[in-house]
Amino acid sequence: MPETAPGFAVIGKSAPMLDGKARVSGLAVYTADMTLPGMLYGKVLHSTVPHARIVRIDTSRAGALPGVHAVVVGNEFPNRYGILPIGHDEAAIAVDKVRYIGDNVAAVAADTEAIADEALRLVQVEYAPLRAWFDAEESMRAERDLIHDDRPHNIEKHYSHNFGDVDTAFARAHLVREDRFRCPAVTHAAMEPHATLAAMQIDGGITVWSSTQVPYYLQRTIANVLEMPESAVRVIKPAVGGGFGGKSEVCPLEVIAAMLSKKCGRPVRITYSREEVFFTHRGRPSQIVDLKTGVDRDGKILAVAAATIQDGGAFCGYGPVTVLYSGNLLAGIYQIENLRYDGFRVLTNKPSCGAMRGHGTVNMRFAFESQLDMIASQLGIDPVEMRRRNLLKPPCFTVNNLRVTSYGFPECIDRVVEASGWRERKGKMPRGRGLGVAGSHYVTGAANPINRSDMPHSSVTLKADRDGAFTIYSGASDIGQGCDVMQVMIVAEVLGVDPSRVRLVAADTGTTPVDLGSYSSRVTFMCGNAAKRAAEELKKEIYRVSAEAQKASGKPIPQNFDEALRLALEASGVIVAHGHYAPPEAARGGHFKGAGVGPSPSYSYSAQVAEVVVDEETGEVRIEKIWAAHDCGRALNPVAVEGQVIGSVSMGLGQALQEEMIWRNGFLMNPGLLEYRSPASCDAASPDIESFIVESIDPEGPFGAKEASEGSLAASIPAVANAIYDAVGVRIMELPLTPEKILRALKQKKKAAA
Amino acid sequence: MTLPEFTLLRPRNLPEAIDSLDRHRGDIQVIAGGTDLVPSLKQRLFAPRYLLDLKPIRDLRGIRNGHGLTIGAMTTVGAIADSPLVAEKFPVLAAAAAAIASPVLRTTGTLGGNLCLDTRCLWYNQSPFWRASCGFCLKKDGKVCHVAPGGEKCWAVFSGDTAPALLALGAEIEIASPRASRRLPLADFYTGDGMARIKLAGDEILTRVHLPESSAGLRGAYFKYRLRGSIDYPLAGVAVALDLAPDGTCRRGALAVTALNPKPQLIPGAEAALRGSRLSDDLLDRLAELTNRAIKPLSTSASTPDYRRHIARVFVRRAVRQAWQA
Amino acid sequence: MRKELVDLSINGRRHELAVEPNRTLLDVLREDLRLTGTKCGCDDSSCGACTVVVDGQPMLSCLLLAVSYQDSQIQTIESLATQGELGALQRGFVQEGGSQCGFCTPGMVMSLHTLLESTADPTEEEVRAAISGNICRCTGYMQICRAVRHAVAEIREEEIREKERLHA
Repeated sequence: MPETAPGFAVIGKSAPMLDGKARVSGLAVYTADMTLPGMLYGKVLHSTVPHARIVRIDTSRAGALPGVHAVVVGNEFPNRYGILPIGHDEAAIAVDKVRYIGDNVAAVAADTEAIADEALRLVQVEYAPLRAWFDAEESMRAERDLIHDDRPHNIEKHYSHNFGDVDTAFARAHLVREDRFRCPAVTHAAMEPHATLAAMQIDGGITVWSSTQVPYYLQRTIANVLEMPESAVRVIKPAVGGGFGGKSEVCPLEVIAAMLSKKCGRPVRITYSREEVFFTHRGRPSQIVDLKTGVDRDGKILAVAAATIQDGGAFCGYGPVTVLYSGNLLAGIYQIENLRYDGFRVLTNKPSCGAMRGHGTVNMRFAFESQLDMIASQLGIDPVEMRRRNLLKPPCFTVNNLRVTSYGFPECIDRVVEASGWRERKGKMPRGRGLGVAGSHYVTGAANPINRSDMPHSSVTLKADRDGAFTIYSGASDIGQGCDVMQVMIVAEVLGVDPSRVRLVAADTGTTPVDLGSYSSRVTFMCGNAAKRAAEELKKEIYRVSAEAQKASGKPIPQNFDEALRLALEASGVIVAHGHYAPPEAARGGHFKGAGVGPSPSYSYSAQVAEVVVDEETGEVRIEKIWAAHDCGRALNPVAVEGQVIGSVSMGLGQALQEEMIWRNGFLMNPGLLEYRSPASCDAASPDIESFIVESIDPEGPFGAKEASEGSLAASIPAVANAIYDAVGVRIMELPLTPEKILRALKQKKKAAA
Repeated sequence: MTLPEFTLLRPRNLPEAIDSLDRHRGDIQVIAGGTDLVPSLKQRLFAPRYLLDLKPIRDLRGIRNGHGLTIGAMTTVGAIADSPLVAEKFPVLAAAAAAIASPVLRTTGTLGGNLCLDTRCLWYNQSPFWRASCGFCLKKDGKVCHVAPGGEKCWAVFSGDTAPALLALGAEIEIASPRASRRLPLADFYTGDGMARIKLAGDEILTRVHLPESSAGLRGAYFKYRLRGSIDYPLAGVAVALDLAPDGTCRRGALAVTALNPKPQLIPGAEAALRGSRLSDDLLDRLAELTNRAIKPLSTSASTPDYRRHIARVFVRRAVRQAWQA
Repeated sequence: MRKELVDLSINGRRHELAVEPNRTLLDVLREDLRLTGTKCGCDDSSCGACTVVVDGQPMLSCLLLAVSYQDSQIQTIESLATQGELGALQRGFVQEGGSQCGFCTPGMVMSLHTLLESTADPTEEEVRAAISGNICRCTGYMQICRAVRHAVAEIREEEIREKERLHA
């Protein structure tokens, strides 16, 4: 690996996390590690019924227990909220009715956890049960006992899109395939359980430390629920132990801790148990995809019609965004001129779904890339060739108005085809061993903010001070992906100084300017651009101030940066500059209903080849190797890019082989890390993963950089499914690809052949 | 998660331990490594007033070679997995011990604990809140078995890894009590009832496992089905031990399974089928069929009963073949 | 519940504490001693984030009753850096991206620390086996394996340098 990218001093050279040393020494402070004088422990009482009106709650005995300082129920703070302005349908503690097993009914703050537990046992709740809806297709037929009264048939959102002339295109297709794919719900399972510490201040403000990806949304929500001005709410993000989307909207404990602290005037910390994390969920929904694709004789895609039903759980959350990503991003990787989409987001009496790595695209990509292989096989076209024949031709606008600029997808395919020995080995391997290929892509941040406005999505303030250091003030939230050091690298590069001279103050709504948060892979591009601009401005300002001062005293204008800095500081004490980023108008998409989701200033691309061995007697799959190439524009910090790509693949392989939220009769059977099987180091799902960085140098990204953290996840799943088909000739259309399903398919195939 | 309140008793020797058990009968529970019990206490599957910690009793730890092998109940499964002596004399036990959970649990979990493991079920190993939401279950606080709703029997499944290996080896266990200590074949220890899984009275302690010299050097294999390469309990486990004559004929052999029934068990008829046989597909099919008849997996875990039946049959064939050809 | 006076040896120092018998070592480390480097990821022995070393062996502190470990030497992540200087394994993690969100890292490092005590140059298979009870959701374990290789190479170079110094 080269030390730095050509022409750069810092960019392109692997740098450790800013607090890397603290993280490996046990010294990084996560929210659950924090205590404050007088701090109390908060605990939440959860509903044991899936759907019911709350008739009565009696908290008097709980409140009377010695050591209990506050008890709170829903109607004390009834203001509704939600991450989307169109979906303010939840309260942190249920107000009139509960909507899933695990819903929040009451909360207490006490001297110890044990007392809090005891207090919860003393709370009496009387429920009047309503019919519960657990299956999305059934829920869509609901006439009564609706989950939210203003959502007929429990349909949260329905989008219907039609671009081009889909029917005509199908009519002239050489081959049309229609298939149904199913994906169960999966969840983030970040290693750090959610935790929040809220401390009401004597001056009437409140300070909240929380394991969040979105401190500014949290600030806004707490202000709304507690009916305080936003300026009185300060949210600080300590070290966060992984998010993957699970902390990218406000979670109940964050608001509940604030309620409790407000009620008793003391700091309150809530740390979720692992079980509570599972019931908070906000993960990838269970999804049915009906996919219809028509191609010509050569395998060129003529039309695609996709219909999907997402089981969104009890609240809106990010739901409409999830279902729109599923549809709108279909057009963002291959050339599709005619596209129809019907997307339903359905409410059920289960924990709310939300954003999870690869948000909205993953299940659709499993379906699409699987079907593409099925078509290739029917036409006798090599799967790699099939993909090459359908590439986009950027720069371009897709049929649904996504602007695609940098496009390293073809090179990604080349890299993994070569590294895997595809040409030499495909089709020549012994039975039971196979290769599969798939592609995927993702947005580099959403071009339109959640709360529509033209304001910058990221702002960065940069200060030069007399100690010779530069301090970045940035709202961006490092959750383990390394965006702190990314900003330091960019600023150091622009200023031409050693990164050790650049400090960072981050993710504190009381001191840092707004960054919308760590979701949809937006930070490198948006905050990176803001940091770059701030540094450019600061540099200009330093030269300007120093030149003016020198001119005034008739001295020569400084040529050297450090000299200029010294003179500028002498003249004005401190130098401050700002940088902002808002996506350009051209990248913000079309004007149809739902056009706002999908547009991004830039898209990342990934191509992967999987090699698997299938045991035909048991159906067990061993993944031998994954070759994963990811187009990240420019790798600002290669070790971080590689880590994100490999991490995405790993999470994808978990979903491919073994992860699923198991529901039986409305009960979540595996709300823990023993039975929810995130890959361990010796698993079939933890193979050797070789990553390749493809640098398409994005025209608008900071130094050409774009997304690296999510786009690779979606390709892993169909690559494995396609490899299984290559190995033993069975096509599994329902995740996860368990031994059981493979064996059943093998048996059916044998039967059909006989 | 908090643990329930209890008084921890730490006897210095076995008589003291027995005495405590006797005194607090009905309100006391033994804790060995705690790898299974501590999470269960956190889930309030148990809430005894006293816990009897066997850790201080040094006498219960260690592997003693002699006529056969004697293993103290408090010996960690990791020590068994790593013991060259066990690997040499009883390879199937070494393999089973090495397959347990993960390295960080094998340092703590004990052989006695693994043999006395509580039976498991997705409807049972859950928090109090979770169990309340489904109205509890037959095994704990409830009246209904969610797995076999009509029945009176608890089908929670025994999921220890070492038991089938020890059964195949003909191990005996030693049990101490206020009365004389008793020794019984491990096969007689299990009841087959998911609730009262083992025949151990409230004042008794499993102290030692005896492996007979006659089983030393038997070829063996342990096959464990699980979805991950570690951590997971078995969804099916098959152990085999074989004594082969120089010409490859089986002089004596045994086959045992775990995680397929409320008890680990020897497969009836397997010994007769193996005796005097040579390795053949017919033999393997017969053993698989005998196994199929002996097991009754239900939907207590993530994997379906049908698949666990299938994998048990496949693993019987594979384990026997592997042991034979080792 | 009655507290017991216990004497725990942690990171080479003795700590006298009054502890209820139903508190786990994890609770005592984090709450009483404020050694918050050891993490709680699941509290039911399924994730490995709470791994500490007890008498030379990696164990899950969420399972251990603190009062039962008074005769043991307990080592936590906080002991590995000496006078602010990271150990080779920790440096490997920092350099190779072995730690992303960092939450599994303390437990992971403690498991690997015991591996390297007994196996100077482990194979990748041995490394993966040693951490097979420590779940990492970020890295797919690839960069953790690299971190160990990095550390092993560094330790070996240091040994060679040491030898050369002795010869010189």
